[in-house]
Amino acid sequence: MNFLAKNKLLFFAISFVVIGAICNFALNSYIQALVVSFMINAIMALSLNFITGVANQFSLGQAGFMALGAYTSAVLTKVYFADQWYFIPLTAFAGALVSTVAGYLVALPSFKLRGDYLAIVTMGFAEIVRVLFLNWDFVGGPRGYNGVVKWPDFLVSYGFTGAALFLTFIVLYHLKISWFGRNLWALNEDEIAAEVMGTPIAKNKRFAFLFSSFFAGLGGALYGHHLGYFSPASFGFLMSVQILIFAVLGGLGSMSGSVLSAGILTALPEILRSLPTGGIDIRMIVFPILLILLMILRPQGLLGRKELF
Amino acid sequence: MGNSRMLSVDNLNLSFGGIKAVDQVTFHINEHELLGLIGPNGAGKTTVFNMISGFYKADSGTIKLRDEVINELSPDEVNKAGIARTFQNIRLFGQLTVVENVLLAMQQTETLGWKESLLRTKSYREKEATLKAHCIDLLKIFSLDHLAEELACNLPYGLQRKLEIVRALATKPKLLILDEPAAGMNHQETEDLKKLIHFVKQKFNLTVLLIEHDMKLIMSICERIVVLNRGVKIADGTPAEVKANQNVIEAYLGKRTQLHG
Repeated sequence: MNFLAKNKLLFFAISFVVIGAICNFALNSYIQALVVSFMINAIMALSLNFITGVANQFSLGQAGFMALGAYTSAVLTKVYFADQWYFIPLTAFAGALVSTVAGYLVALPSFKLRGDYLAIVTMGFAEIVRVLFLNWDFVGGPRGYNGVVKWPDFLVSYGFTGAALFLTFIVLYHLKISWFGRNLWALNEDEIAAEVMGTPIAKNKRFAFLFSSFFAGLGGALYGHHLGYFSPASFGFLMSVQILIFAVLGGLGSMSGSVLSAGILTALPEILRSLPTGGIDIRMIVFPILLILLMILRPQGLLGRKELF
Repeated sequence: MGNSRMLSVDNLNLSFGGIKAVDQVTFHINEHELLGLIGPNGAGKTTVFNMISGFYKADSGTIKLRDEVINELSPDEVNKAGIARTFQNIRLFGQLTVVENVLLAMQQTETLGWKESLLRTKSYREKEATLKAHCIDLLKIFSLDHLAEELACNLPYGLQRKLEIVRALATKPKLLILDEPAAGMNHQETEDLKKLIHFVKQKFNLTVLLIEHDMKLIMSICERIVVLNRGVKIADGTPAEVKANQNVIEAYLGKRTQLHG
């Protein structure tokens, strides 16, 4: 079960390079953009899966952290780094840190609450963040943030986003199978028993939440630099729900499941787009039906808690 | 007395609204003693229990483990201080394997480090392997090792009880509290449990507090018994003394009344 075993790592590295090369030389920019979108979605799904899947803390505020990451990184590149793309990794990291600080502030009072209350608090947090940016003229207010610096070409974008996804995956997966992950699984199942066995549950939840908000911020920053434009509306409640769908479809608690489902759910709407429409957007009917079928046939998600490798 | 005290409970009080659930309760457990805590339903046993394990905070009074005051600690700190407990309605981590249940408890006594686990270094993997081997050894003592990779929820009831005790032991406690361990057990299982409690007490050099409804069990294995009724301690002594105590008989069976004077 060691993901970092040399042969596996080599396999992933080679396939990453090959896919990148194929996309760069053989496929059009539409597909290329989709591939990067998929990786960002995967980062978001992973970040939520850690807190909701492993620790069983239902968070609906992922879009809020995403927004913090996106706005921080965009503003920093514009104001301090003269829109030079090679500072993006740095500012994205800063965005992730800002998101982590916000995560800490949210976690501090919220983990005295249990179950659905946390969902309400995080949802409220995301709304506050959204409304804040909506009323802040410097970042465009409701018109959105225009002219965010973008990556120069596909390969650079692919490389950095892929590296971020790799980092996210490795960190969260290693945590999941470590002592810390075991603490989280325990409180996932039975908080009282976990507490009696000596695990400080509030502290564990806080730490899990910090990791989750860090990577959500990172994903948000990359989202901004990938698209070059976003507005407060990009980070609404629907975004949080979409991320939740990614995590649930892949299987709550399965890290590779989140990546898999991010792939499927990024590709599926695009594939369905080519269906014969006959005037109506069949995509919007097929997509929910598929999700409902999945909930009936496989409520634990595609992979449950297991991993692909 | 000459005996040193493992746990001292002093003038403990707790009210829920207007109800005094625990009223000036004082008792102690000597080192390496097996003390039974009994009482009719609603006597306050579980409340006292929850106060010892840190879930309820006393309105007044103190609980001391050896010389350490523990009644302001949270449940996980109480565990670290040296008290482990089991639950009346078994609370295992059902979706974790048997060995993971024990590992979870045992790892709390070790520092495994953030950096090492993030990088999953060789030393970390070795450390975890050693810890796991310790868990398997512990399971072996209770002949549960062949089930180590089974999910805990798939174990039969009796073994789940046993595993819960093993898990409690993995935190390396000084005092083990068993909350109605015989609940839902038949005669044979209760006999086995009796042996198990004795065995655990000797093997791990433990002090045991037993809360139980099963009178036969408690009378036959406890060295001393404390009886609560309506939040008040009404008796404290050897099983024979308690059995003969008028207050205890009244609490369980009611008062003898003369019908015609």
